[in-house]
Amino acid sequence: MSISSPVAFTNNPDELFVKKHVKYIQSLDTRKDEFEYWLTEHLRLNGVYWGLTALHLLNDPTALPRDETINFVKSCQHPSGGFGAHPDHDAHLLYTLSAIQILAMVDALDAVDTAATVTYVAGLQKPSGVFAGDEWGEEDTRFVYTGLQTLKILDRLDAVDVEKAVGFVLACQNYDGGFGVVPGAESHSGQIFTCLGVLSLTNSLDRLSTASRDQLAGWLAQRQLPNGGLNGRPEKLEDVCYSWWVLSSLAMLGKLHWIDQNKLVGWILSCQDEVRGGFADRKGNAVDVFHTVFALCGLSLVGWGGLKEVDPVYCMPVETTKRLFGSK
Amino acid sequence: MASYDSDDEVDYATDPAWAHITPLPQDDGENPLAQIAYHPDYVVAMSYLRGVMAINYHSAQVLKLTADIIGMNAAHYTVWGYRFKTLMALEASNGFNDEETSWSWRKELDWVQSIAKQYEKNYQIWHHRQLIINHLNDATGERERTNEMFASDSKNYHVWTYRQWLVKRFNLFDKEELDTMELLLKEDVRNNSAWNHRYFITLGRLGTDSPADGVINREIELAKVAISSAPQNPSPWNYLKAVLRKGNIGLASLKDFCEQFAPIDSEDEIKSSHALDILSEIYDETGNLGKAEQALVLLAAKYDPVRKNYWRYRKRLLGSNENVPTASEKTPIVHATA
Repeated sequence: MSISSPVAFTNNPDELFVKKHVKYIQSLDTRKDEFEYWLTEHLRLNGVYWGLTALHLLNDPTALPRDETINFVKSCQHPSGGFGAHPDHDAHLLYTLSAIQILAMVDALDAVDTAATVTYVAGLQKPSGVFAGDEWGEEDTRFVYTGLQTLKILDRLDAVDVEKAVGFVLACQNYDGGFGVVPGAESHSGQIFTCLGVLSLTNSLDRLSTASRDQLAGWLAQRQLPNGGLNGRPEKLEDVCYSWWVLSSLAMLGKLHWIDQNKLVGWILSCQDEVRGGFADRKGNAVDVFHTVFALCGLSLVGWGGLKEVDPVYCMPVETTKRLFGSK
Repeated sequence: MASYDSDDEVDYATDPAWAHITPLPQDDGENPLAQIAYHPDYVVAMSYLRGVMAINYHSAQVLKLTADIIGMNAAHYTVWGYRFKTLMALEASNGFNDEETSWSWRKELDWVQSIAKQYEKNYQIWHHRQLIINHLNDATGERERTNEMFASDSKNYHVWTYRQWLVKRFNLFDKEELDTMELLLKEDVRNNSAWNHRYFITLGRLGTDSPADGVINREIELAKVAISSAPQNPSPWNYLKAVLRKGNIGLASLKDFCEQFAPIDSEDEIKSSHALDILSEIYDETGNLGKAEQALVLLAAKYDPVRKNYWRYRKRLLGSNENVPTASEKTPIVHATA
């Protein structure tokens, strides 16, 4: 959907163009006269979270103005305690987590009414243990993760029924070892990340048997294609964002070494625009902030030099999660 | 007179039908992070939407306005939510029967389908559809609608999620569902979504109940035929193993079948890393550790070297009583969500 100029993909997949990626992220907010900017308004708060996380990993956490960031997050909070993607948009769990993560990263959780946020999140848990995304009731393992992570950051997991939430997630495991959006839905790497995230942040990973964890890690490792890239489901195309969903899942299972990391790194680096910065979903497409942060998260997980360490459970810098939860 | 056909253009600022709504421009406050210069049509439509929402106004006009905005930005979840509220309000006030507007749930569903075809990656469309069908308590024609979507993308995750919801909500675990999966797999035997859904309708819904007579054998045969046509396709292999587990049948029963695709002593004739993988387990189970190791070495060195560390891990487990990573004992529980 991009109308911006063509991307100059690197022919030098040994280098990470750190300064250009910082500039690219800073430039996002100055592109307001571009048609695609308003098309992504419904993702604005996610976008700020993605950009800020990327900047933290790039070791340039102050490249976005802190006060303006905090003010923007505040302007997205509803009286219900939840956050919308933008001041005019309804509250939803997806943006509520982004808001809380942003504030956690800039150490400003006291800037908003977090007690109201806890009430909002807790109100979205259903009797089955799952969370709805918003008042409209869509249910999805993504929302279990976003709800529980929000509460974990706010140190209020006690506000919901954690055991039921874990039970719902376990019911979503499929015959191939993976997890889907609801019980019975096809395994998908993105949903696997959210389900393992729930099990990790509630210290419940051992609810999966060793055999089951190995089966799942084997399935995840199968996501690597001969060119090094990772896909999200069998027989689908590779995409840079799975460098996060698959790798973070393998990291939570302690099996990062089950894929060929060198091949993956080369493939991720080949997706960056070496002139203007940013990463695309795959070489040849337009860059965006979503794929940029997940490319950097993937590189960070395999220990790319110069990048800050990312926490595979929370998708925030380890510096932040250590400050929040103490060292693990 | 306002028109509600989504193809007709409305000039909100001059159309007398809209004169009673005060447009509210976006208040960006003093926040530079959020200042947005919109496309002019979008600016106008959004300011009218804010005006409408401010007075909680629901009429057939709102359907036109929200359709306009969704046509420009289908992912705008707030607009979808307001549209659903408007539809419910119209139904409650008998507004569907207004001759000028003559909207109906049927028309709404047709319109939603046309938007779905334009925006295949969109989430909101399918949730909107689910809210409507749940409200109407009538799934007539809905499977056909998802089949239309599969014609252009047979792995669309949102459509499959909706399809499973339909099957659960209206108890459609029937022959039509089974036949559709067979057809989709005939068209593309690598369609993992269709394999997953087939499991869901045949065995996955049973929980701890036993399958009906003949189902296990029928599914084993189906998977074997699919494997024979594409031995390196992982989906039917995973399916086959799941069916065996459900039927309490040991892996060893697959020995001859697997050896067809991975004759371990004739390396050049090996056609499937998945067959080799299962054979290593069978050899291990039956105490033939030498052959089991040989299979895993071949996988690490030649047939799946990208995952050589995984195969080395498997090699270390050989001969131990530790479980080989195949068993997921749990079966998804099907929640009836009425």
